[in-house]
Amino acid sequence: MTEQLPDVETVRQEVRAWLEENWNPAWKGEAQEGPNRVAWLTQVVDAGWAAPQWPKEWFGREFDDARNRVVREEFARVHAFGTGQDRTNLWINTLLAFATEDLKKQLIPGLMRGEVEMCLLYSEPGAGSDLAGVRTKAERDGDEWVVNGQKVWTSGATRADYGMLIARTNWDVPKHRGLSFFFLPMKQPGIEIRPLRQITNESHFNEVFITDARAPAANLLSNEGDGWKVLVTALAYERSYMGEAARGPRSGNRVKMAEGEDELIALAREAGKLSDTSIRQRIAQVIAWRKLNDLNTARAKADLEVGTSASIMSLGKLAMSRILHETARLRTDLLDAESLLEGSENPRAEDANFLALNAYFTSIGGGTDQVQRNIIGERVLGLPKEPEIDKAVPFRDVKGG
Amino acid sequence: MARLSGEELSTLQDAFTRLLADKCTEEQVRSWMEDRKGYDPTLWKAMSEMGLTSLLVEERHGGAGAGIIAVERVMEQAGSALLGAPLLASAVMSVAALQASGDEDAQSRLLPQLASGSLVATLLITSPEGDWTGKTLGISAERRGDDWVLSGASGFVLHGRGADCWIAVANTDSGPALFEIEPSSHGATCLALPSFDHTLVLDKITLTDTPARQIGDVGSGWQSIQHALDLGLVALAGEQAGGAQRILDITVDYANIRHQFGRPIGSFQAVKHMAADLIVEVESAISAARQAAEKTDDGADDAPAWRYLAGFSCADAFVRSAADAVQMHGGIAFTWEHVAHLYLRRSRADQQLLGSSNYFREQYLCALGG
Repeated sequence: MTEQLPDVETVRQEVRAWLEENWNPAWKGEAQEGPNRVAWLTQVVDAGWAAPQWPKEWFGREFDDARNRVVREEFARVHAFGTGQDRTNLWINTLLAFATEDLKKQLIPGLMRGEVEMCLLYSEPGAGSDLAGVRTKAERDGDEWVVNGQKVWTSGATRADYGMLIARTNWDVPKHRGLSFFFLPMKQPGIEIRPLRQITNESHFNEVFITDARAPAANLLSNEGDGWKVLVTALAYERSYMGEAARGPRSGNRVKMAEGEDELIALAREAGKLSDTSIRQRIAQVIAWRKLNDLNTARAKADLEVGTSASIMSLGKLAMSRILHETARLRTDLLDAESLLEGSENPRAEDANFLALNAYFTSIGGGTDQVQRNIIGERVLGLPKEPEIDKAVPFRDVKGG
Repeated sequence: MARLSGEELSTLQDAFTRLLADKCTEEQVRSWMEDRKGYDPTLWKAMSEMGLTSLLVEERHGGAGAGIIAVERVMEQAGSALLGAPLLASAVMSVAALQASGDEDAQSRLLPQLASGSLVATLLITSPEGDWTGKTLGISAERRGDDWVLSGASGFVLHGRGADCWIAVANTDSGPALFEIEPSSHGATCLALPSFDHTLVLDKITLTDTPARQIGDVGSGWQSIQHALDLGLVALAGEQAGGAQRILDITVDYANIRHQFGRPIGSFQAVKHMAADLIVEVESAISAARQAAEKTDDGADDAPAWRYLAGFSCADAFVRSAADAVQMHGGIAFTWEHVAHLYLRRSRADQQLLGSSNYFREQYLCALGG
């Protein structure tokens, strides 16, 4: 199979020529939403660039990693989005690992083209860090499951066509064993969505109230009772993604930067503090953490290619938390009293303050830093788990709230 | 330079691991701490036969020409085992200085012997105060007819007492130059420094009208030393990354077997979370050291920045891993008999050896244009 692959340079020329012919740089802000997004993604999918590493059945080219990387590089060079779905598309990766052939055929094409929107139905008011303690229940009714409960921290809920749902299907077994994982249709009467106002004064997250909502039996992933296994896989994808990238400042203010210069250096210069020894040490340190996180991620992926373990993949989110919090502290310290203010007339303070608050998106979301340290300690370093008093107890006897 | 293939590197590393397991046990390391030489000549000979002393030497001078990438990997293992041999002083830094000197005569005379390990050399870089920036050299050179004599002192010399050849950088009227000194020469004395890390052999060397042979061009001596420091920093980063990884492994193993309150201490989040934070530091140190080696081998424009980053990241990771290891072990690690303090001492020494972390952080920011 490898013999038939075009050589790397040929691939580069082909992608480059294709992008020159089809890509419009004006679309680059539409990676999440926009009027041209679906049309562009459709073009990318049909051309075989969306996930070049996947088989032809899923619009791939069966590329190896070297060729795949070339495609990513060429897309990045012209700021085009839509490739790399084999790494970044959480929904499809979860389907590929656990869904029936029918469900894959039904959903994957639309997901790749951005026609099908998704959300996550994991956390509940009573089940945050202890996610296996969810109390939303799904009961079998003929060819369907009937779902009742309440979910929280759901972004994109109003637009979503499906939610990836973890729900309890068996209350007579210990908590991890009674869970099942579904693709729950969101556009139905039993779904009520209420936006949450976040500490950043934005509303990306929602509460979702589920009352007698229905999911076709075919939308169950893996088997009934295997939901925890599916969830752990899906969470690993989400966390590795959160370890690689995070949201930047929101004011749109741009500090004057020299070619290739780091923004923190430019901000310190603008604040007249680039000669402050303590500030200099902190800037160097936080840039170093960022570079090292990138290097660790690259090394983890290289390890994945040769088939060894990639335990350092799970370190990224924890490392990113520290980077984000320290960056925000540093930006605040550059401003002194100016950081008392906010809003569009005070863009520097707006950004520093926003980043200080939004850093918690990474250090709490997707599993708190403390949960993440447990996971690293137990799964990467092999340290023993803490005794869990509810581990062997039928879930209906577990105290919650 | 011929980079080793991944397979060749693995073979070399496997062989070195076996050798260290046999001849560089904790018991042996402790015996060298009491020994003036500070290392085992039979281990050095075995390392030489394995080709470890020839890695950096060019092929035309009898070396492997394998470059700094292989050296960095080998140093990871050396750090892991707390090796106390003059690998850094002789096979890395002295070789690098000679190769940068462009002095064909000195190279063909010394490099084959350094490659085979039959000759051990070390560099006299800093004044007795300890300054690896070149701002203050402790030794001055004076011309006497066709010959040169050196006077002054150099501190923090690695393996000065065991070396067969000292290579000094000294001030001349036309700028710094390199000189080769025979340790038994007139006016040369070597004083053992009371090193906090007992596995590290540090000396102060004093010269009074000591005859020396000049190497390379007068005036460009510091460039040769800078090259040695560049490669030395990468090698040291490897040692630090390897040491950090090993002491974390030791600590995690202990946290799995030590029981208090009826369960392994590693099951307590207070301990587990320290370990999780440490593996972020350790993996980052490995990434940093290897990246610095790759970039240096490539001769990349941004290689200095990557070396500075490795300089402080690896040093700090090693110190933190060793320091937290003592805390996580508890009382047992407060004893001389426990191995943790050997790593803590080595890490604290390595953090200062070619420049401090604060210095490298400052240099890093400068290299980034800040």
